[in-house]
Formats: sequence, structure tokens, C-alpha cells
Amino acid sequence: MAQIPNLDNAPINLISIREQSQKELINILKNIRGKKCLVIDPKLGDSLSLIIQTSLLKEHGVELRHLSADHIQTDCTKVVYLVRSQPNLIRHICSNIHHDESKGLQREYHVYFVPRRTVVCEKVLEEEKLHNMVTIGEYPLYIVPMDEDVLSFELDLAYKECQVDGDTSSLWHIAKAIHKLEFSFGVIPNLRAKGKASVRVADILNRMQAEEPVNSSDMVMPEINTLILLDREVDMVTPLCSQLTYEGLLDEFLNIKNGSIELDASIMGLQQEGKKTKVPLNSTDKLFKEIRDLNFEVVVQILRQKATSMKQDYTEMTTTSQSVSELKDFVKKLNSLPEITRHINLAQHLTTFTSKPSFLGQLDMEHTIVESQSYDICFDYIEELIHKQEPLTTVLRLLILFSVTNSGLPKKHFDYLRRELLHSYGSEHITTLNNLEKAGLFKKQESRSNWLTIKRALQLVVEDTDTANPNDISYVFSGYAPLSIRLIQHAIRSGWRPVEEILKLLPGPHLETKRGAFSNSPSFDSLSGVSTGIAKVPDGRRALVLVVFVGGVTFAEISALRFLCSQEGMAYDLIIAATKIVDGQTLVETFMEKLG
Amino acid sequence: MANVSVAAEWQLLYNRYYRKPELYPMRWKHVDLARHKVAAAPFGGPVAVIRDDSKIVQLHAESALRKLRLFNSAGHPLADAVWRHPGGRLIGMSWNDDLTLVCVVQDGTIYRYDLHAQLVEPNISMGKECFEQNVADCAFWGNGVVCITEQNQLFCIPDFRNPKPVPLADPMIDEPPRCIAVIEPQYTMSGNVEVLLGVADDPVVLVVEEDGVQRLGEGLLRGPLQKMVVSRDGKWLASFTHDGRLLVTTSDLTGIIIERECESSLPPEQIAWCGMDAVLLYWDDMLLMMGPDGDPVHYLYDEPIILIPECDGVRILSNTSMEFLQRVPDSTVSIFTIGSTSPAALLYDALDHFDRRSAKADENLRLIKPSLPEAVEACVDASGHEFDVSRQRTLLRAASYGQAFCSNFQRDRIQEMCKILRVLNAVHSPEIDIPLSIQQYKLLSPSVLIGRLINAHRHLLALRMSEYLGMNQEVVIMHWACSKITASLSIPDATLLDILLDKLKLCKGISYAAVAAHADKNGRRKLAAMLVDHEPRSSKQVPLLLSIGEEDTALMKATESGDIDLVYLVLFHIWQKRQSLEFFGTIQARPLARDLFITYARCYKHEYLKDFFLSTGQLQDVAFLLWKESWEFVKNPMASKGSPLHGPRIKLIEKAQSLFAETKEHVFESKAAEEHAKLLRIQHELEVTTKQAIFVDSSISDTIRTCIVLGNHRAAMRVKTEFKVSEKRWYWLKVFALATIKDWVALEKFSKEKRPPIGYRPFVEACIEADEKAEAIKYIPKLADPRERAESYARIGLVKEAADAASQAKDGELLGRLKLTFAQNAAASSIFDTLRDRLSFPGAS
Repeated sequence: MAQIPNLDNAPINLISIREQSQKELINILKNIRGKKCLVIDPKLGDSLSLIIQTSLLKEHGVELRHLSADHIQTDCTKVVYLVRSQPNLIRHICSNIHHDESKGLQREYHVYFVPRRTVVCEKVLEEEKLHNMVTIGEYPLYIVPMDEDVLSFELDLAYKECQVDGDTSSLWHIAKAIHKLEFSFGVIPNLRAKGKASVRVADILNRMQAEEPVNSSDMVMPEINTLILLDREVDMVTPLCSQLTYEGLLDEFLNIKNGSIELDASIMGLQQEGKKTKVPLNSTDKLFKEIRDLNFEVVVQILRQKATSMKQDYTEMTTTSQSVSELKDFVKKLNSLPEITRHINLAQHLTTFTSKPSFLGQLDMEHTIVESQSYDICFDYIEELIHKQEPLTTVLRLLILFSVTNSGLPKKHFDYLRRELLHSYGSEHITTLNNLEKAGLFKKQESRSNWLTIKRALQLVVEDTDTANPNDISYVFSGYAPLSIRLIQHAIRSGWRPVEEILKLLPGPHLETKRGAFSNSPSFDSLSGVSTGIAKVPDGRRALVLVVFVGGVTFAEISALRFLCSQEGMAYDLIIAATKIVDGQTLVETFMEKLG
Repeated sequence: MANVSVAAEWQLLYNRYYRKPELYPMRWKHVDLARHKVAAAPFGGPVAVIRDDSKIVQLHAESALRKLRLFNSAGHPLADAVWRHPGGRLIGMSWNDDLTLVCVVQDGTIYRYDLHAQLVEPNISMGKECFEQNVADCAFWGNGVVCITEQNQLFCIPDFRNPKPVPLADPMIDEPPRCIAVIEPQYTMSGNVEVLLGVADDPVVLVVEEDGVQRLGEGLLRGPLQKMVVSRDGKWLASFTHDGRLLVTTSDLTGIIIERECESSLPPEQIAWCGMDAVLLYWDDMLLMMGPDGDPVHYLYDEPIILIPECDGVRILSNTSMEFLQRVPDSTVSIFTIGSTSPAALLYDALDHFDRRSAKADENLRLIKPSLPEAVEACVDASGHEFDVSRQRTLLRAASYGQAFCSNFQRDRIQEMCKILRVLNAVHSPEIDIPLSIQQYKLLSPSVLIGRLINAHRHLLALRMSEYLGMNQEVVIMHWACSKITASLSIPDATLLDILLDKLKLCKGISYAAVAAHADKNGRRKLAAMLVDHEPRSSKQVPLLLSIGEEDTALMKATESGDIDLVYLVLFHIWQKRQSLEFFGTIQARPLARDLFITYARCYKHEYLKDFFLSTGQLQDVAFLLWKESWEFVKNPMASKGSPLHGPRIKLIEKAQSLFAETKEHVFESKAAEEHAKLLRIQHELEVTTKQAIFVDSSISDTIRTCIVLGNHRAAMRVKTEFKVSEKRWYWLKVFALATIKDWVALEKFSKEKRPPIGYRPFVEACIEADEKAEAIKYIPKLADPRERAESYARIGLVKEAADAASQAKDGELLGRLKLTFAQNAAASSIFDTLRDRLSFPGAS
């Protein structure tokens, strides 16, 4: 069970991107001769597990450690730190080195910053008077392929940093990553962006192209036709709703981390009591590829069917005589048995969560809030959650959803709920509230909400959604069509122009432009008719659209996009990139900060 | 025939031909090599000449001042400088790899000059010992030098790019060595330089390294060596013995390769390798060339000469001419040897016939048909070795004539050779005068050649050449721009900018910032500012703007670029440079810079951040900081719970509270801080009275719960009233607290106190969660909503009751859901089915 996803079927050559990253890392290790201790910051380590196998690192004389404030125990005289450029991580390195010094240990230190060295980090080293003791290098890892159609920039805190701290480092990172892609796949000729951050990314990207142009003459045809950038800020409703696709639910309850989940071995029917086991979840698993994007209800049925047909085949096999080819077919089916068992186990485990009344109540409430018809019911429900001291993230998730759809709460309610929150969970959460207010996620109402208009105009709530044979993306939330994907649907089909009025109701500016060699093309106006002209690449493959979510994307949204892709008459393949794959809980958690 | 005249100039040594064409007549005037110290750079480089102060010479009509004069290989003057350095006699002088002239004087000081006779600062010292003991002799290699003092101590500079003198091991000799040679670091095992010393009266060679001395050649040598020279590749050593023999050995002196008697036992003045096959020995007016076998070749000179070894021969510099002594290349031999019938010679001959319209041309071609390609190849190759343009042309014509008749010859070979020859002829031409041979050119590489041209300020040729060879012109234009700035002190900024931009735009992606930096270094800050404005790369532009003091522009450009790292760079720069208040003012006007400063300072400069907020009147942010600080007391072990230290903590919170109160937008925060302080006080009291340290830092709700769990209902009530806890919340808290301690009696009593403000749901939920069905049943019937009743019954597994309640609620969807809950239970399922049928609701699942 390889955790590193198989990227053979990717619409662009993602393998080369991954191999490049592998090679760069190996080169770093090769250049430091002999045995060395590689100390990785844990978050980065998680990302790297999608790039390179640990065994490959060990082949290069590496002893692996995780970075923490505690000192490292190793016999190696060479220590290589591989860390994201975050000052707090540098602090750990400093305390490590100071410890070695106090023990009189002479070691050679290398610090490799990911993706690049920064002034702030070097400043920290300088202030600790260590900058002369370490050799500084860079490991330019800007992008990690998560699956054959999903890329991640691995910027966990991007959304919060932009919205609360005003730190827009992540936008530069995103632009740089896209620019790097352009060096491999050509300048992307069409660009559409919605939201403040997205438009800024587009701006930085164009700047980079001006400063360090991708030589467009080398490439006959750019491999990516269109780039769509979308701010998470534009649609904060979707990530806060509970995802109802199979992969989405797995993430909600079991936290998919870098394409795998960790759970008790007993759940997977393994004999090791009390031990944890890791289950990789990516398209290498054929069955998972088939069912990951379906509504969970349907998944249960499919799994049941598969199991029964397998059982039937088995009975037939044992009772009647079979021809060789029939036997062969049966054996082939048997090969998929481990996958079926795996997903039956997982699905069964999921139902223990989905059948809980609290979950059903929450789903009910989410729909009521999204419907935006019964303010008081929602308010009372949330108030009661606070009184019952339900987990804070659960409460905040609903509260933000409530505030966002109402574009804030009336001052009286706003103050009242904040007071109740502080009373129930402690005054230290004032910072969390402050953060949420700064980000506009939980705030005082200042203007009328236009959610109802948006909902209606974009048909976000779809009655009679058939989850088994869906004809609309609304199946991913059993009746709610994610706003973000609706926008992308429009952007792909006809560009921004027809939905301009609605875009104006949503936060941030929007942008539609042509780039590179195509920027002078007179056919700017006819751009909206993309599905006719440039949509087809000569060799018959569909043209490719790169959709970038600035601030994170959920599995449900990815599923919805894949659904769009699979629709007949769709002229494009999609590739999805995001600062991070998030869900309501992880997104809310980034804003949580205790005073203490 | 033409062929004959060519070969007539050759000399035969053993079985090889040598030739010695004149490259240039020397154009210098009044230079007598005998009176001068001379340093000539290999690869056709410049020649440095200075009057030898170790000899007594007669001054004719010249100044007594010594002058260092630089010439090119044709004796064309490049530059000169008056030599008036202290430090004693000039011991040695040599050009290193990047064409810097290195001059070692007696006291161990090293003066360096560039091609324009400008002193390169700083001067290098060989160290205290050299200063005290005086340098007696020195030996150079490509990028280093080794000096020997009068007390026979050795010091070396391994690399002039990092000029640090390193002492070598003490050779422990009393008399100065007879001769000295070095093996370059790149050819030694250790990677460090090895110095070979020929010692008086001792038949060995001492090899001195940094960490030791070895004696080599014991038993091999019969007497001390007088003179020695190491071959180019460091493998062979040619030496002149005490008894007048030329000895060629391996450089580790383990085997003798050649040993030949010379006609003199006096050591030669100069000894040099000619390529790898012959050794040249020079005595006054006689130059002797010795090969591995056969008679040596004699050349007679009636004027002094200097031998300049090259990779493929030796240049011979005399007062009047520059010659090149070289083994005749094989291709040339095959064409021009007298009576040669090689295919190449016949091809060359065929061309001659063809030109004279003779049918013999065709005959020749037929004769060599099968070996035509190699004949063509030989002609191409030979053309490359010629310095004479007309002969190059004839050979190339022969090649292209032959090529027309062969089908399988690599066609671009001729083109390629033409390209190389054009370059070579260009550098051979007058004024440039670099007599590079094709082999030297290939070894030197085009990029180094272009670098040398640039250094000699031959920018136009360098530019043309790099364009012609398809190389990046950036280096050339960049160097030109910098030289132009240095040389144009009198041209006004705006005019100079136009001149520069005109050329800089030729090269896409050139670094304007680098040119601007140079302008700044030359004291032209305004020009620098104008130039840097044209730099498209902010990562280059911003640091430069900072260095020329344009902080505000830098901050603006950095912000525009979106590169946060650049903004931080500017931020830290300004932070360090300006007074706090001025700094605060600058960043306050720039939101991105301000936000980044706050983010950074929040983690690392708390106090400073407070100053910032105070200066900008953001009192609420100061308050947040203070409030945050109040928690530091918790982390601090001195502030253990219950100790009087809670005082300062509460004071801090109260200070925060009053700061919040300053602005009316922060009434809520002010109130929250006030409540927090109040809560801490009450919690301390509770800890004192209950003697349990479990209250501090729990929330108000948790405090109430803890009180109830401990049975302290009065305290719970007090907290409730102090903080005006609503009845709703109070009920939830108390019910759950009682359920936690399973005080079902108290719970029942509580339910009967009065009609609960939010109904009996809390009671039901608490009991169900505690898995006390019997208790739950007490309260379920009291629930007002039949749907809630149905669900509650369902949760404790009472199917019948659940179904009844659901049917009361007349809710089909609920029925369906309940049915699903009891899916495994067939009996239960049927109950729902019948009920639903009775209600005749549309099916829902």
C-alpha cells in the first residue's frame, strides 16, 4: 500500500514535478558528505511523505528526526535541518544548537529553508548569534501533488494570515508556484480571478512573468489553457457545511491527513488490538477512485451490491461447474476483495458517526441556516449549543455559517453570544473572537445580507436532489450546490461576464484577462465563447483548466468539480490546486487562538 | 611548388618536425630584455617589463625612475606606472590566471596590478617571518605563489582569490636551494601545492608541503640538480644535473625517462618544456631543443630571449620579435612534407591543378577517392593550425573542394572551423595582438577569452564575438556599462543615463541594479537611482534602493512586488536606521508594512509593539497585549495558584480593562476584562475556602459546575448572580453537573423547584447521556413537543412509545428516520410501517 499516489493518469506531467522535488532533496543530502542527522519540522515531514519514501532518504546516510524544542539525540556530527521558513521553528533550532554548545558538542549545522530563506528567519538566527555557525540553503518546494488531479501548496495558515494578520506571504508563494508550473507547461493564456487575494495573486504572477519571463516561443501550445483563481473569502458557506460525499465524510470524522487516515486497527478488521493503522486514500485504490466523490448514501448501497454479488458469485462457484474463463473472471473479482473489505469497514465505521442524533441535528441546522428563512430557530439552536458547552469548534462552525449568511448579527445578539461564549469557554477565547471579527467571519451586522439574492440567482438550493443519479453538483451536500463551484461552473462555461452582477454582491474584485503571447490577441471580447475555439487541444485531449483555491478547498468541492468534469459536453479537464485541503473544523481551528 | 617552401622552414628533431614562425615583430622601442625583469602571460597574454634592480645597468637617456611597463604580445604599449614601492628589490613578477600582475618584493609585500597598470588594493603581505627574514626567491603557478626566505623558510599563498599566507614545513637546509619548482595543487595527491627544491651538495630533491618534507630521488640522482622544470600536467620533471646532463624523470622521481648529455656543464639560464615532447635549454645566445632521441636542434640568437611556455609549444620573445616554436601538427605534416603522397597532400595538390584548369585535378581525386573524407578532415585541421590567413584560406578551399566529392563528410566541420578561425584571426589582428593557437583557444575557452577582451576594454570585439558565438552578451554589456560609468566622470547624469540605456536595452534580462550599484560605488547616487528605476526584478531593485538610501521608494517597490520577504528586508533596514517615532510614522502610513511589523513584533518585541500602539493611539491593542501578558504569570512557576502573586495579574487585567474603556467601540472587551478580573478574585477565594486548587483559569460555567459537583450550591448561586448568568444557562449547567455526580434525587428535586424555563429537555438529555433510562423516563413525558418525545424514546430504545409519539406529531419524515434507526429490529420496523400506512404519509427514507 504505497502512500505516495500514483500519478500516471494525471492530465499534466505531475510525475516530473514530483521527481524534480525528489531530486532536489537528494542533491541536498548528497552534497553533505557522510552520515548526517536530518531534522524535519513535523508538518513539512507530512508533506514530504507524499514526495519521497523514507527508505530513499535512509539510502543517503540519513538518520531521521522530527524538530521540536527538545534537543536531538544522535551520534552524527552533521545535522541538517529542513524547515519551513517560520521563525518559531528557527527558535527550536537555536535551542537545539545552544544545548549542544552547553554540552560541548562540536557539530556541523546546515539549515535548509522551505521553500526559500527569508529575512525574518535569518534575523532570528542573527539575534541568537548563530548565523555564523550554520550553513544556510534552500529547498524550493512550492507545490505537492496530492493526487492525479489535486495539488497543494501546503500553506495551512494562509487564510488566517491574510485575513487576520495582513500577512500576504502565501499569495507570493502561490504565484511563484504557478509560475514554476508555467516554466514546465507554458504560460497559461487565460486567467480569471475572483476575490481580493486572487486578483493580487494574478497581479504578482504577471509581475513574475515580466521579471523572469517563461520563454513562450519554446512551447508551441501551452498545456494549461485557463487559470481560475478563487478566494475562500468569496464562499465561506461551503466549507462550513458538513460534507456528505464519501471522501468528505471520511475527512470530517477521521481527518484525512496528506492522503491517508489513521485509525484503530480493530476497525479495519486487523487483529492487532489497540494499535493504529494507516489507510491511504488516493486514486491508486481503484474502488476508492470510483466511490470517493459519491454521496455517502449511495456509497453504502454500492458497497452492499458489490458484497452481495461477490457472495453470489462465490456460491455459484462452489455449487455449479464453471468454465475456465468464468473462473478467471471470478479470480479477477477476488483481487478487488481487499479493497471492498477495506471500504466496507470504513463505511461501517462512518455510519456510527452519521447516525448520531447530534450529527443529524447539525445537518438539519446547517440546511436551515443556508436556507436562511428561520433566523430565530438558528439563533436558539446555537445559543443552546453554547449553554451545553458543546465543543467550541462545532459551535463556531455553525456560528460563522450563521453570521456569514446574515452578513453579521445584530449588535445585541452579537454581544450576547460573545458574552455567552466567554462565560462558557473562558475569557482566553477573546483572541479567537477578535480574529474572527477581523476576518469578517463573526461580526456585527452593518448591512443587509444579500445571501438570499445570491442563493436564488445561482440556484444554490436545489429541491429534489437525486443523490444516486445526480444531474447537478448539489448532490455533494444533499441539496446545497456549493457557491464556489457554481461560480467556477460559470467561469468555465462562459467567463465572468454573464454573472457580473452576482459577482458584485460577493466580496472582492474580479478579473478576466489574457496573458503571454495571447495578450495582444484582438479576440478579447470573444473570450466568453471559449467552448468553441481554443478548447480543443490538437491531439484530441480536452483542454485543461487549473482551478486554484486561495485559502483552502474541501473534498466535497473537489468532488463537485470532478462531477462537472465527468459531465457530457464538458470541454475541459480540471486540475485543482489549493493552499491546503481543509474542512470546516480545520478551517475554524486556524482562527482559534487562546490568550494564554 | 608551394608545398616545398612550407616544409623548408621545418627542423627535424628525432622523428618529428618543429617550426618556429614569427608571430609579430616587436613594436616596442628601446626595450632590452637583458636589462629588464620580464613577465609574459601564457595564452598570448600581455608582457610586463621593468628595469631589473638586481643588475647594474647603464642609464642612457632615460629617467632614473623605474617604470613598470605593460605591452601586448606584439610590443604595443598598454599602460605604464612608476614603480616607487618600498620594501626592497623586486624578487619575482608573474601574471596569474585572471591576468593580474603579481609582484613580490624583498620584504614579502605583494603588489598587484591590473591590465591597465592600476594597483589592485589591498596589497598582500606574506607575513611577519618574510618581513623579518627577507624573501630570497619565489615561484609562481596559475593562481598562487610560494616564497623562500633568506633563512630558507617557505611560505605560500595557495589561491590569490583568498590571499592568506600559509607557512610550509621547514626543509631544514642551511644553504639556499639551487633551484625551485612547484607542482600545482590540481596535480598533487593532497590537493595542496608541492614545492620541489634542488639542494646544494645533496643528490636529492626535497618535496615541501604544508605538513611535511620528503626526500625524493635518493639513489636515482648522482648529484645535486642545478635547474628544473615541471611539465604542464605535473607528471614529469625535466632537470639539469651538476654534471651537465638533461634528466627527465617522473615528478615523484621514481624513474628516469630520458637522460642525455648536453654540450655544457654550466647550468642553462632558462629551461622549458615545449609541449610534452621536447625540452628547451637556453644559454647565452644558444637555444637547444632536446627530444627523446636523435640529435638536438640548435638555434642561435644574438640577442637575449625569454621562453614563454604554452600548452602546445613555446613562444620565444626577443627584443625584436615574438616567435612560436611548435611541433608541426600531423595534418600539416601530411600535407606539406616534401614528397608527401598522403591523400591530404594529393587533395591539396588537386586544388592547385583545379585552379590552373588542369585535368590532373580529377586524376588526383580519383586516386584518393576512398580516403577523401580523411583528406578533407586533414585539410580542415591543418587550416586551424595556420596563423597565415591566406594559407588558412587555401587549406579550407582544398577541404571544401574535396568535400564536394564526398557524400559522408560531416558538413558542419568546415563551417565550425571557419567560425573558430574568424575568432582567432580577429584576436590575432593588430591592436588586439593575442597570438592564440587553436589548441590554446580551446583550452582557454571562448568565455574566458571574452573575459580577457573585456578586461582589456575591447568591448566591441567582445560583444561581436559573443554575438557571433551565440553566447550571452550580458557580461560584456554589463562590464561596458560599468567601465563607461567609471570613465565618464564629466558626463552629466541624464546624458550618461541615455548612453547607458541605449546599450543596456540590447540585452534582455540584464541587471540594471548591478549597473546602478556600480554607479553608486562611483559616487553617482543620482545616476544610480535613475538606473535602478529601470530594473524589472524587485528582488534586485529593492536591496539597491536601500543601499543608496532611497528607503521610501524601496518600501513602495517591495510592497508592490508582493514579495513579503522584501518588505521585511526594508522594514528591518528602516527599523535599524531610524528613531522609533519616525519609524512608527513611516510604517503607520503603509498598511502591509505595519501589519508585518505587528506580526513580527507580536512574537519577538512585545514591549516595542506596545510603544508602537501607544504612539498611534491604538489603546485597545495595548490592552490586548496586557491581557495576554497576564497569562505569563500563570506560566511563571513563581505565580503558583493561591499565592499572593495573583495580585499583579489581576492588576494587569484591570489596566487592560481601563484601556479598553477609553474607546467606546470596545465596551464589550472592557466588560469582558472586568468580568475576568472579578472571576479570578472569586476563584482565588474559592480555592482558599475549599482548599482545592481547581478553580483558577476555568470558565464561569465551569466554575459553577465545579461548585455544584463539590456540593457547594451557595457558591454556585453566588457566581450565577455575580455574573448575571441566565436561567437558561443555569439550568443546563446545574442539570449536567448533578448528572455528573449521579445525584438523581437532587436532580428530581431541582426539576420540581419550579417549571424549568427551557422545559425538561436538559433533564432528558442529561439522563440519556448518563445512560440512566429509568431516570430519563421520568422526564420524557413532560417534554412539550411530541417529536422530541418520539426521538427521546427512540434513543433509549423504547420503540412502541417512540412510534406513538411520532404518530401524535403527524410527522412522516420523522417516522421514516426512526424506522431507519431500528432497521435491524424487524418487529420495530413493522410497527412504523403500520403507523405510517395509517397516517398515509408519502414515503420518506
